[in-house]
Amino acid sequence: MTSLPARIAFALALVPTPLLAQTPAARLDALDDRITRLEDANQVERVQKTYGYFVDKAQWTLLSHLFSEDATLEIGGRGVFVGRARVLEYMQTAFGPDGIREGSIINHMQFQPIVDVDPDGKHAHQRMRAFVMSNGGWGLPLYENEYVKEGGVWKISKLRGPFTMYTSWEGWAKNAVPNTRPESFAPPPDLPPSVVYLTYPSYNILPFHYPNPVTGKLFTPRLAPAGVYPSVP
Amino acid sequence: MTRLALLLLAAAIASPAPAQTNAALEKRVAAYRDRVERLKDQDAIENLQAAYGYYFDKSLWGEVSALFAADGSFEYGQRGIYVGPRRIRQALLLFGAEGPQRGVLNTHMQLQSVIHVAPDGRSAKARWRGMVQLSRPNQNGQWGEGTYENAYVKQDGVWKIASLHFYVTGFTDYDAGWAKSAIPMEGPSALLPPDRPPSEIYRSYPGVYIPPFDYPHPVTGKPIAPPRPADSILKDRK
Repeated sequence: MTSLPARIAFALALVPTPLLAQTPAARLDALDDRITRLEDANQVERVQKTYGYFVDKAQWTLLSHLFSEDATLEIGGRGVFVGRARVLEYMQTAFGPDGIREGSIINHMQFQPIVDVDPDGKHAHQRMRAFVMSNGGWGLPLYENEYVKEGGVWKISKLRGPFTMYTSWEGWAKNAVPNTRPESFAPPPDLPPSVVYLTYPSYNILPFHYPNPVTGKLFTPRLAPAGVYPSVP
Repeated sequence: MTRLALLLLAAAIASPAPAQTNAALEKRVAAYRDRVERLKDQDAIENLQAAYGYYFDKSLWGEVSALFAADGSFEYGQRGIYVGPRRIRQALLLFGAEGPQRGVLNTHMQLQSVIHVAPDGRSAKARWRGMVQLSRPNQNGQWGEGTYENAYVKQDGVWKIASLHFYVTGFTDYDAGWAKSAIPMEGPSALLPPDRPPSEIYRSYPGVYIPPFDYPHPVTGKPIAPPRPADSILKDRK
């Protein structure tokens, strides 16, 4: 039917090319990469869970050390803070000095992580739910964070924590705390909010860093300029 | 003769270099096998502690106590330390009768794990978040929360709990909430005294005790040792 070279070429095309080229050492390199990505994902989870444990006890200095030097932080509707020093300033100015005060409870529980490490092994994304249990009531921030591996150490490079809902202990049927704004409390941000949105009873979808794990397609929220859905999706 | 000579010659030429290469490859494979084993250990420990929670939810004290090593210890809040599965099973009766009961919730959620397996794969430590929902017949429900700092040991290929320590952050009435209700911890039982007193003395909410961290700061690598001011009750008021 076809020439011999063509048939050989066709047969070779059926064999995964990496296998042809790979020596045992190269295959072990690939294995090392795959194991390292699993270890990386675990470590990125540990970093974010530790962030939660530090918030619980108002350990702002320890928390700021989880960030890279040029990291950014954006929480609620407060705008963007640039650099590790501003992360610390934000926390200590907004929430008081290090150390939780007697008679307060500010549990910042970190649940439901979805971590993806980039193929380069140097960057990672993680979506994580925070569930807040505090004197003031309940809170539901969401995180879509980025991480960077510097000198073999994973750090938070970009923290985005918009709020879904905050409510008093009476519960969300009776009470909804509005979103924060850049001027809600000191200190002022370095940059305006990346998106303006409203919290419960309104709604907003924080873009997903990952595609639908079954269809493989990325769901892109059709956000109106205010960051709120023009209609129920 | 000629054939043998050729074989020997071929062996002399061929073997030394591959032998070295193979040794190097074997070493790498062994190192990677260890790393994969540590990942599997972490999974096993995560499942072990999750299983503890699911059994606790239903007051299955026989199953809970069976998760502990022979010299494993159980410490919950200020109740003191119970050692060994038999004593732990007895102590768990302080949380209600064995088996699920009508009107009883013993929900102990096991969340936010930070697990570190020792390099030799024989022991591990983990910090966990425990959310608690309690219900007793004819009483109002309670929310609770605390931190676990646990140790694990691998014996005959099986991970077991070597020590479980649940530091209670606080308990509150379901309706009232933290602003209005702080339910104190139970002390050591007079009926079933613990084998050892509490390892650390502290007060739950409104106290703000910081359970020690078993692992170093994930970025700086230094011990996580925040200042832990004394409870205001202990402050000298001259």
